[in-house]
Amino acid sequence: MEPQFLTELSDATREVFRTMVFREVTEGARTGRTAVQPGANVVATVAFAGKTSGLVAVYTAFEAANEITAAMLGIEPAEVDGELPDAIGELANMIAGSFRTRMAAVSGETWAISVPTVIVGRDFYTKYVSDVQRVVCPFQMGPHEVLVELIVTRRNEQ
Amino acid sequence: MRFLIVDDSSTMRRIIINTLNKLGYEDVTEAGNGREGLDRLGGGAVDIIITDWNMPEMTGIEFVRSVRGSSVTKDIPVLMVTTNAAKDDIVEALKVGVNSYVVKPFTPETMREKIEAVLSR
Repeated sequence: MEPQFLTELSDATREVFRTMVFREVTEGARTGRTAVQPGANVVATVAFAGKTSGLVAVYTAFEAANEITAAMLGIEPAEVDGELPDAIGELANMIAGSFRTRMAAVSGETWAISVPTVIVGRDFYTKYVSDVQRVVCPFQMGPHEVLVELIVTRRNEQ
Repeated sequence: MRFLIVDDSSTMRRIIINTLNKLGYEDVTEAGNGREGLDRLGGGAVDIIITDWNMPEMTGIEFVRSVRGSSVTKDIPVLMVTTNAAKDDIVEALKVGVNSYVVKPFTPETMREKIEAVLSR
């Protein structure tokens, strides 16, 4: 995958956490896992489409998702009551949107992006059947790990 | 100063309300999409509108077009808060009557500057 994609995704993720979650995150070593099994339990995805198409996905454990939700809403984690899916979806939406804007600035490509989809559960893998490039960027937010995954397919030039 | 916030994400509405409260603005009404936003506007008793772009039922662009099409609400300043920040998006928003643009993610300082700018016009 082009390094520029990952640089822009990483910068977008840090900016969203700093300005909207009020938390600093540090990035670990990126991996090209072919399947991701979140330790638990919350996955938010936003697709983008254009000359380049793909997906931005955010994986967190429930406890981390709860803390992120509380921080975004300005409440205590114990006060979170049903807002988690919307908050994590909005988190993914902002990361994907900021990534899209940054890529438009460097490549001139404008992509459409989807509304976010949020899955909450346990003991599941996410896999993709088509031939895609897939990189997982692990971020650390205090004691919590947050995985941000980028999946990219490029349309062949005609 | 009376604000109307139109956004389908309850999280984003709460973030914007918290930001406005930090800036000293307390009088805020919420709507979950453009159609609800038009209902909340009623007789135009709002000083500034903050709206999202991508929403079900009625998009932010359609909402702003309706606001500008009414003699009662056509002069209310509109700020659009969205991730749609490509040049073409901004041109389209300005064309339908959006006064200024806040790109997510944003800081309270950015929100303050944009609010002050649209109110000073």
